[in-house]
Amino acid sequence: MTERSGPARVPVSVDVNGVSVSRQVEPRSLLVDFLREDLGLTGTKVSCELQVCGVCTVLVDGRPVSSCTFLTADADGADVTTVEGLSDGQTLHPLQESFVENFALQCGFCTPGFLMMSKALLDGDDVPDREAIVEHLEGNICRCTGYEPIVEAVEQVAERLRGGVHG
Amino acid sequence: MTLPPFALRRPATLDEALRELSEDSVPYCGGTELLLAMRAGLHRPDALVDLKRVAELSGVRVDDGVLVIGATERHADLAAHPVIQERLPVFARMEKHIGNARVRNQGSIGGNLCFAEPKSDVATVLMALGASVTLAAPAGRRTVAVEEFVAGPYYAEKEPDELLVDVRIPLRDGLRGAYVKFQTMERPTVGVAVLADDATGWYRLGVGAVGEVPMAWSFGSLGEIDPDAVAGWVDPTPDLSGSEEYKRHVTGVYVRRALAKLEQVSA
Repeated sequence: MTERSGPARVPVSVDVNGVSVSRQVEPRSLLVDFLREDLGLTGTKVSCELQVCGVCTVLVDGRPVSSCTFLTADADGADVTTVEGLSDGQTLHPLQESFVENFALQCGFCTPGFLMMSKALLDGDDVPDREAIVEHLEGNICRCTGYEPIVEAVEQVAERLRGGVHG
Repeated sequence: MTLPPFALRRPATLDEALRELSEDSVPYCGGTELLLAMRAGLHRPDALVDLKRVAELSGVRVDDGVLVIGATERHADLAAHPVIQERLPVFARMEKHIGNARVRNQGSIGGNLCFAEPKSDVATVLMALGASVTLAAPAGRRTVAVEEFVAGPYYAEKEPDELLVDVRIPLRDGLRGAYVKFQTMERPTVGVAVLADDATGWYRLGVGAVGEVPMAWSFGSLGEIDPDAVAGWVDPTPDLSGSEEYKRHVTGVYVRRALAKLEQVSA
């Protein structure tokens, strides 16, 4: 057996933040490694690798998933949104702006995960109240800022949506 | 951390999937249990058999008074499913609150049962509901009650060549149900389901998360459910969420709360 012989690679075509990408990946390739190592999108972080902390959250077809425990092969044909996809590089996403205004980050390591989880919630059919925000973010861990400013940042954006931006 | 190498099989039909299965070629769906076990070195299969393209394993339907849920249905989809919300709201609400939003979007009901995680909300509620699972093997099918299927901690009554096809929950007109849990970490300390079909005098209680497997009991009336007695029937495993004595205590408290919540649920 040569070093190259391993399980057959699988073709993956995926739309990452609006850009089409086609690659051959090992079946064991994890989405977070694909994003960070293959595509150089290091905004998505890795920590617990147990689906508990939420820092690796990305959206696959709009749904929040733990990219540390998601096979790249399963993203074939899907739209993937990472924290890099929130802003066009000029204007911050309303959630990003609200996190800044509310001091909802300190070291910032957990922030990409909180932003993507919050985006998934706010993109849903119902504008969430505080209780729904708290419950939705229960699966994300912050070890420095504390949760109050984060919840407030998301609540402010939700209130603006309720206030009529959606019509 | 990188996973050990494996091949990926993607059958399109149940027959193809069954042909792929062996001791070293294992069912794979959401990965919320399997990939973690592989990363921890507990499991090193040669191949994963991805079940997500097998149409026979998905879907929700009512078939002759039985709610039939395909094994690969994800928790978030079950929580939002109109038929489940209408016919079995207690089950939809439980699905809406398990794990976290990512787990609910990745994990499947079949995977949850096959991995027999001792703190599974799903197994507790299904046992109380008197649900069963359909298992398919090359030789044929069999039906097993969830109470027997979830046989031990991380141990389900399933052969390596078998696949869980669907979960079957008998529906009852006018059923009232409540599920409450106490949780401070990623998994519940205790979960209690109480179900009442007043018309036929069918009453069930399920208690999970405190011990190695959930347990369920039948009663002739709600008045027969004595929270202090139930606290004595469970077999708690002391762990980070509490000692045996503590878990017996919260079991009693949550049986009381489940009964109080059921009072507020109309048929």
